[in-house]
Amino acid sequence: MAAESDADERRLVREAQDGSGAAMARLYSLHWRGAYRAAYLVVHDTAAAEDIAQDAFLAAVDALDRFDRRRPFRPWLHRIVVNRALDWARREALRRRVDGAERVFEPLPPPEEIGGEMIAALKELPAEQRAVVVLRHLLEYTPGEIARMLDLPRGTVNSRLRRGLDRLRETADARRVEEVRR
Amino acid sequence: MSDERLQDALRDASIPEPAGAEERGRRIVEAAYAERRPPTVDDRAAHPSLPRLALGLSLAALLAVLLLSPAGASVRDWVGDAFTASTPRPEPTLARIPGGGRLLVQTGVGPVVVQPDGSRHLLGDYEAATWSPHGLFVAAVKKRTLSALEPDGTQRWSIAAAQRVAVPRWSPSGERIAYRSGFDLRVIAGDGSEDRLLAGSIAAGTPPDARISPAYVPPAWSPTGEDALAYVTGAGRLRILDSETGAVLAGAPALGRIVWMDWGDGGRRILEASPGTLRLRPVWRAGHPSRPALGKARRLQLPPRASLVDAALAPQTPLVAASITHWRKHGTYSEILVFRPGQGPRTLLSVPGSLGQVEWSPDGKRLLIAWPGADQWLFLPLGRGKGSAIANISRAISPDGHPHSFPRIEGWCCQPGP
Repeated sequence: MAAESDADERRLVREAQDGSGAAMARLYSLHWRGAYRAAYLVVHDTAAAEDIAQDAFLAAVDALDRFDRRRPFRPWLHRIVVNRALDWARREALRRRVDGAERVFEPLPPPEEIGGEMIAALKELPAEQRAVVVLRHLLEYTPGEIARMLDLPRGTVNSRLRRGLDRLRETADARRVEEVRR
Repeated sequence: MSDERLQDALRDASIPEPAGAEERGRRIVEAAYAERRPPTVDDRAAHPSLPRLALGLSLAALLAVLLLSPAGASVRDWVGDAFTASTPRPEPTLARIPGGGRLLVQTGVGPVVVQPDGSRHLLGDYEAATWSPHGLFVAAVKKRTLSALEPDGTQRWSIAAAQRVAVPRWSPSGERIAYRSGFDLRVIAGDGSEDRLLAGSIAAGTPPDARISPAYVPPAWSPTGEDALAYVTGAGRLRILDSETGAVLAGAPALGRIVWMDWGDGGRRILEASPGTLRLRPVWRAGHPSRPALGKARRLQLPPRASLVDAALAPQTPLVAASITHWRKHGTYSEILVFRPGQGPRTLLSVPGSLGQVEWSPDGKRLLIAWPGADQWLFLPLGRGKGSAIANISRAISPDGHPHSFPRIEGWCCQPGP
């Protein structure tokens, strides 16, 4: 899917607001995969990630008439996705705590899978750190933008990023050593 | 590990994706977009501008803080004229349910049954639940599972559906449970047998009119016990089916952007609700008692610029209770309006801030009103009598005694058995 410029995207939003189904379909095609991917990397559950991506688009359709055409669509959608993914992850954590159930990890992806090691390491971070890492390094937002999206002080974003990256490095290195020893 | 390597790994990593997920989402989003009503000039004028919205929210937040703080007494006097009916002095703990009966509420960790004496029991980590008609059982859902439970949480049966399960509704006869699995409307016998498709699905080649609404409008059973089921199709039609045969009994265009419906008033009316509109539609019994027909819907007039938060049709009378939020000079205000056919609405309660759900008692004589901003439930009688308020609801209902999110009311049980 070819990337669309900001101006093209604003045009699509304007046309969708004016009733163009084709423009809405184009916005969906441009952004669904990114929305699903971001949701999955925060929640690590395919059904939940599908629901979150879908809900984010439905929320976008619902709020389309109120959307300020001068603002970019992508961060607005990603803000909904990541905040919903965080809500889901917190609810899951709460359920586990109340149940007293132990956390059960899915089996690690096989080593030959592209990036499997990184995804497994990412899963071991707390949801709040996962969210800022995904926003910064998958969706390429600046710390200032992330702070606004998550309604957090910028210093908190920076510290979560730093702690998240440190833990990712440690986990990925430990796994590499383990692989070599096997 | 460099930032570039991390970026590449996140972008290129193989991520599992449910088969057809993008296509499913596309159809739902397209249907939601098609159902969306293009804004009119009036709508645009009705939406407050962003600065005003922000100012309003700030004022509302400030007001809430002041009112709920000990130092807020003088402020409370200042806004005293905003209270139409006085809010009762809240009882500090949930020691009884005013008016009796049992409540089923959804908390952040699962559904909880609240007994008449205020004691509570967590049923498990289910995502939603609904009472059986006489409160002997609860149907609960979690991911792709539908289960029937006893009110103490003991599981009677459970089935695994092909797709995620939502909005279970137990028929008034007790014989069937309607539920949504993915984008199919299904029905299963009350003993967990005879699970079958009733309407759907959005699979390729299915006429769009056979879908159920992507807006997740829960289906509604006829309260008369004849097992007729109303639902909204993906094409925006309100349809009544015979749940035994699947035959379409009646159909009419549903309210645009419908989010909720109730079939009440002894089976004589269906309430349709969207964020800005409420409509009441008569259901006639033409010719044969089991063959309902839909009459012309009549709009219930909401105050200008009001947003509908929740609405409920009384079980045995044509009264409609609506929880609305709107703007005044000092910020957000909420009201509970009660509509009677042929009359204007009566304001039962008016408070600063936001009210939430509204639920009729089983006998239709009082209302339970959620007030999340004050962490209270209000129990208000319709006629003469004293209302009650219960404080600290988040903590009182929480299964672990710690306040989490404000609970959602799933049902107030029950009419006396047959």
